[in-house]
Amino acid sequence: MKTIKYKYLFIALAIISFGSCSEEFVEIQPKGVFLSENYYSNEKQCTAALVGVYDAMRKNSGGFENMISMMNAGSDDFYAGGGDAKDGQQMQDFSTHSLTSINVPGSFWNDHYQGIFRANVLLSKLPEADMGDDVKLRIAAETKALRAIYYFNLVRMFKNVPLILVPLTSQTMYGVEQAAPEAVYAQIEKDLLEAIPALPATVTAATDAGRLTKGGVQAMLGKVYLFEGKKTEAAAVLAQVNGTPGAVNQYGNKLLESFSDLWVHANKFNTESLIEVCHSASGNTIWDFYASGKDEGNTLNLMIGPRDYKKVKEGAPDLPAGWGFNIITQNLYDAMKTDPRFEATILDLNPHAASGAATYTPSYQNTGYFLSKYVPRASDVSTGAGIKDLNYRQNTYIIRLADTYLMEAEALGSGARAQALLDAVRARVGLPSIPVTLQAIKNERRMEFAGEGLRFFDLVRWGDAATVLANRGFNAGVDEIFPIPTRELQGTKLKQNPGYN
Amino acid sequence: MKLLKAFVFCILSILFSAYAHAQDASTKGKVIDETGLPIPGATILLKGTAMSVTSDFDGKFQINAPKNGTLTISFIGYKTVETTINGQNAMNVKLYPATQDLNEVVVVGYGTQKKSVTTGAISSVKAKDLEKVPNGRIEQALQGRVSGVTIAASSGQPGSASTIRIRGITTFGDGGNNPLWVVDGVVVDAGGIGYLNQSDIESMEVLKDAASAAIYGTRAATGVILVTTKKGKSGKITVSYNGFAGVSSPETTLNMLNATQYTTIMNEKSVAAGGSIRFADPSAYGEGTDWQKQIFNTSALRYSHELSISGGNDVSTFYASFGTQNQDGIVLSEISNYNRTNFRLNSTHKISKVFTFGQTFGFSREKTAGIGNTNNEFGGPLASAISLDPLTPVVETDPTVINSRYTNPAMVRDENGNPYAISELVKAEMTNPLAYEKTRLGGFNWADNMVGNAYVEATISKHFKFKTIFGGKMSYWGNEGFTPVHYLSATSKAVENSYSQGENSSFAWNVENIATYSNSIGNHNFTVLLGQGAYVDNIGGGSGVTLQDLPIDSYRDASFGFDIPADKRTSWTSAQTEHKLTSLFTRLNYDFKEKYLFTGIIRRDGSTRFGGNNKFGVFPSFNLGWVVTKEEFWKENDILNTLKIRGGYGVVGNDAIADFRYLSVVEGGYNYAFGSDAKITTGYANLTLDNPDLRWEETSQANIGFESRFFHDLTLTVDVYSKKTSGILREVNIPGYVGVAKNPTANIADMENRGLEIELGYKKRFGDLNFSANANFAYLENEVTYVASDADYIVGDASFQSMGVVTRTKVGQSYNSFYGFKTAGIFQNDAEVAAYTNASGGLIQPKARPGDFRWVDTDGNGAIDDNDKQFLGNNIPKYTFGLTLNLDYKNFDFMAFAQGAAGNKVFQGLHRLDVANVNYQTDALGRWTGEGTSNDYPRLTDNDTNENFGKMSDFHLENGDYLRLKLIQLGYSLPSNVVSQIGASKIRFYITGENLFTITKYTGFDPEIGGGVFGIDKGVYPQAKSYLFGASVQF
Repeated sequence: MKTIKYKYLFIALAIISFGSCSEEFVEIQPKGVFLSENYYSNEKQCTAALVGVYDAMRKNSGGFENMISMMNAGSDDFYAGGGDAKDGQQMQDFSTHSLTSINVPGSFWNDHYQGIFRANVLLSKLPEADMGDDVKLRIAAETKALRAIYYFNLVRMFKNVPLILVPLTSQTMYGVEQAAPEAVYAQIEKDLLEAIPALPATVTAATDAGRLTKGGVQAMLGKVYLFEGKKTEAAAVLAQVNGTPGAVNQYGNKLLESFSDLWVHANKFNTESLIEVCHSASGNTIWDFYASGKDEGNTLNLMIGPRDYKKVKEGAPDLPAGWGFNIITQNLYDAMKTDPRFEATILDLNPHAASGAATYTPSYQNTGYFLSKYVPRASDVSTGAGIKDLNYRQNTYIIRLADTYLMEAEALGSGARAQALLDAVRARVGLPSIPVTLQAIKNERRMEFAGEGLRFFDLVRWGDAATVLANRGFNAGVDEIFPIPTRELQGTKLKQNPGYN
Repeated sequence: MKLLKAFVFCILSILFSAYAHAQDASTKGKVIDETGLPIPGATILLKGTAMSVTSDFDGKFQINAPKNGTLTISFIGYKTVETTINGQNAMNVKLYPATQDLNEVVVVGYGTQKKSVTTGAISSVKAKDLEKVPNGRIEQALQGRVSGVTIAASSGQPGSASTIRIRGITTFGDGGNNPLWVVDGVVVDAGGIGYLNQSDIESMEVLKDAASAAIYGTRAATGVILVTTKKGKSGKITVSYNGFAGVSSPETTLNMLNATQYTTIMNEKSVAAGGSIRFADPSAYGEGTDWQKQIFNTSALRYSHELSISGGNDVSTFYASFGTQNQDGIVLSEISNYNRTNFRLNSTHKISKVFTFGQTFGFSREKTAGIGNTNNEFGGPLASAISLDPLTPVVETDPTVINSRYTNPAMVRDENGNPYAISELVKAEMTNPLAYEKTRLGGFNWADNMVGNAYVEATISKHFKFKTIFGGKMSYWGNEGFTPVHYLSATSKAVENSYSQGENSSFAWNVENIATYSNSIGNHNFTVLLGQGAYVDNIGGGSGVTLQDLPIDSYRDASFGFDIPADKRTSWTSAQTEHKLTSLFTRLNYDFKEKYLFTGIIRRDGSTRFGGNNKFGVFPSFNLGWVVTKEEFWKENDILNTLKIRGGYGVVGNDAIADFRYLSVVEGGYNYAFGSDAKITTGYANLTLDNPDLRWEETSQANIGFESRFFHDLTLTVDVYSKKTSGILREVNIPGYVGVAKNPTANIADMENRGLEIELGYKKRFGDLNFSANANFAYLENEVTYVASDADYIVGDASFQSMGVVTRTKVGQSYNSFYGFKTAGIFQNDAEVAAYTNASGGLIQPKARPGDFRWVDTDGNGAIDDNDKQFLGNNIPKYTFGLTLNLDYKNFDFMAFAQGAAGNKVFQGLHRLDVANVNYQTDALGRWTGEGTSNDYPRLTDNDTNENFGKMSDFHLENGDYLRLKLIQLGYSLPSNVVSQIGASKIRFYITGENLFTITKYTGFDPEIGGGVFGIDKGVYPQAKSYLFGASVQF
């Protein structure tokens, strides 16, 4: 009797377990992530995917390898700085123009291509998504404009890059070749031109500021034209952005009255801003995910701050300590000494150190001059969770109105409008008018945008890099562009840039 | 799991009520060995009852038994004898050593088999081999015991797991190479085997050949280790205690430059680079600070206590144990220690004639504190101790210096309130290790594991059995840590304190149904096994929280009860992805007269880790054996007593890859902030490319070998094998322009391991002296045979600082072979530099100076570039070996065990290249300083234009050969007449020395370095040398 009972129990157990024999047993659906084939189906998902495309914009000033600090280091206005000659090796190597295919930081290549891949995926899925046409058009426009911005960085940095417009697959990825730079520029123009009509003139500042606008993308197009040498087209499109020099443009943009207000952390998305990269402290970044897609902090701030800085007496600025990168050269200091923008641009710690009001550890190649635009102040330190150093929240500009003024002036070269544009930039800081010449515009750009990462590209565009950077080991015909990272050459059809191996 | 616990307690109570006793007439006897000497402590059991006695010092016993009763006489290491009393009242029982017995049984997966008829390459370790090994992690106990199993510690941190490779590297990538651990039928992959208590183990069987392992199908490619825990034996209750205590210290420390030597070298480096003398009078600095002395503990405490109780009767048997062990690390013991407490209960019950029920249950709690970064060039106390200059004092006591340099309120201070000094010379991640220790106090990891199974077996007829097994493992693990406000250096500081905890759980279960039919028809013996199983693991997830800015200063006051505002709290959550397998398997064992043997296995597995195109895999295997000595033509002789030749071929799989690799998924975390308030929006993006054709990685293996016995006392087992893995699954490092955040997985390479294994055993008794020795030796060759990449190699997995990748995986080479420049001595003078020219007369090394390395221009293109790199050696030891000696003389016993490896290179990366002013080992004193001074250690300079140190070259590689005296133990057992007076059956005292010395030429701490790629030394946590004193008592 007892045995029979056990038998039943036993049979029941066996039956239950045999149920696991089927094929469905080993079919599971992923949770916490979505299947690519089902995603991108509605407005909410496509908007989230668009955010993923924007994520790559952070490259401008987020993460240790960011555009601004890197491009500054390679210009005549800055040294790499840092703890010693080996600190931030890649930046040091760019500073001495000795990059090789091995030491070139691959992230400047990879991160932009990640943005492009996400844009390509979204653009390929968008037509099938279920949402209103207006929204769809706007998302497509922003995606294309972002793709153009990423290609613009790539073509300027690496020049000979593959032009990829549809998502690659495991089967197609090794067939890719580099495109002619002209073809890349043509696509950038096409993307930007297609984007402009579908973009809003303005966005709701509180929630949407930072999303691309018509004016911002026109400004980008003008800049692209200028880099292509298409001055007429550049002047035409930039004129639409600039409007009457010194006045409010058609989108409500206007130069800020005070130059120094541009660098106040809280002054996000001010009227001078056309395209701006947004940083936030609310990501509570910690080292575990630093520089990943979840890190929204501004690393540039941390990198610029003086090493081990300590305020000892009143009179010295109250600064948090940083890593002491992007040390300003004596050359820039001398050039700017009498410029009204000096105070806002250069923080001279030498008097404070001499008087004992402050102490800091000198960076490599220390001059005592720090980039005030991005040196964080004690009041800028995050009060929230996460690592303080990683949660600075100063936004950085990709293009601001002063830039489009000077670019239009440069495109025009001469004449009353060019003069008015140059005058407006100078007048804002209280400088008198000087005759507009290319040299005057070059000088003005150096003063106005010092430390904003524009100088190296400007020097290359003007053909001045070889002369200006001669004492920094610059080889004409080679160092205008970066070497292609080694990984990209292995097993692919890509070829190294001339002069590199 | 709660259910299982409740169940276990039920069983316990049933157990203890099940005893019955009987009384009868008295029978006397004596137990002797084959030479006629008495055997004390043998167990004499009256068959069919729980009645048993133990023989005394003279081997004599007395038992109350019926005149027609049968006695079972057993003694460890001897064949058990059954004898009927037949009315005798005095009898002599002779026992023969069990090693003579080829009827020894081995566990083969889903059953056991007589060793004489096994056909696979299976190595066993039995309880008696382990009983003298101090309790620690189980894989360490396996090291050097069996051939073909390479075990290397990845850290000397107490409680840390070792890297195990069975027959070499089976596949690329970490994790995928770990063997499958099956404990009492439960696959315990997830969470590891750290929970297992060594002395609970009855046997461990390593299934090395594919044909044996094939019964575990998809997860068997990397070999299978079957662990069987102890079960009770029917007879009287046995209570055992074993405990030891002792101290550990570092086996070696490095010779670093003292302050005088350091300043001399720094001056020389500066001058060589055109700089000035930096330290005016080096001799004034004297010895300076010995940082290693500061971090090493030469008397780290270690102890272990274990208690077990076992017994049973004809109906039920049980084994229960309780143990606790504690081990302090030899580096900063306050933040490096390990504690484990474990409990086990195993029992079996005959419910009826047909049904047997059994269960095993083990619980353990582990608590580990770790020093953080180990084997990592980027900081951590070990890296700091060997990098920091000897000029910096440990603690700054000079008030003027304190007032000028150490004004930061967050400075870490010693008990006298003086700040721990911060080096002004060596910076980056290097920090004062004692200050570092203070910032980690109170932090620990913990893990609770419950593993158990329960089975019901139905013996339906004499030939047919059916068994259903349910197994489960429930793991909980987590961590807790407090970081005070501190300032260690410019880059290592915290302005707010923080307190964090994390908790994870994971559940795994499996159900198996197994039907076995065995029969003998004439001389044909066969067993057919049919099985079905379902396996699920990774059910669980975790969460954690970090609080910042607590209103306290010390970890002692830390609490999660503080009311911390929301913006000072960060939390994380995680989820695991279930991994499921469904399996069908069958095995046929057949033999003819135990002379001709055959085993065949087929297993079919389906896994959630593969796409629809390749969801199921079928894995067949067979083995053949021939016992030559059973042939009639083979005359019995005293030279070759037994000889079995066996061989086979099998295919097994490996699905140890991440989930959903065949799918393209979209995940969040690509965020961006918008709006004037910079509100963060979660962005989604495709993680990687999909690959629906992802297929099973397959490992096929051919094995041929023999087992033999010579001269009655000498056993010899030899195996040769060739193991080929095809379709190796690995993340492919695809070009960056594809634009995916994570590389996709593909079947990208094939690899072969070939090897030879020899196990030798000898056991003999010379009068009162018992002597036994076991030796094993293995030779292994690893070769990558195919790489499906447009490049003809795969970028290596090991890199070092600014040097970048230092290994490469290429066809014709072993996996992750070292790859770099070859040196051809040192330029002794300018003439030699000038003479090193290419075909067109140009200098091959234009930047070189006398004292620099001459690099070999491998490709002969007249310049030194990346194409001149060549393969410089393999990281996997080619030879591994172990040797055990046992000597017993009267009441004394002695054991020595040595183990080693050879034929591999170790990357000696103890010198940080990209941080200024780091210290050197004293071999730098032998540097080149002028013509003829050195041809292998280059000049030292701050401007190393030749990259003598910066280039990956054979200069950084050293031979990893070593032989280590792993264990030595001397024991003394109290005479049994003394012992019996206090009611015990055995009392033994012993002293043990562990890792007493290592013979090696390696200049780092320790050449034994495990990990994903073996032999990469960036400051590995060295293994401890221990002296232990212990006692064991049996009742």
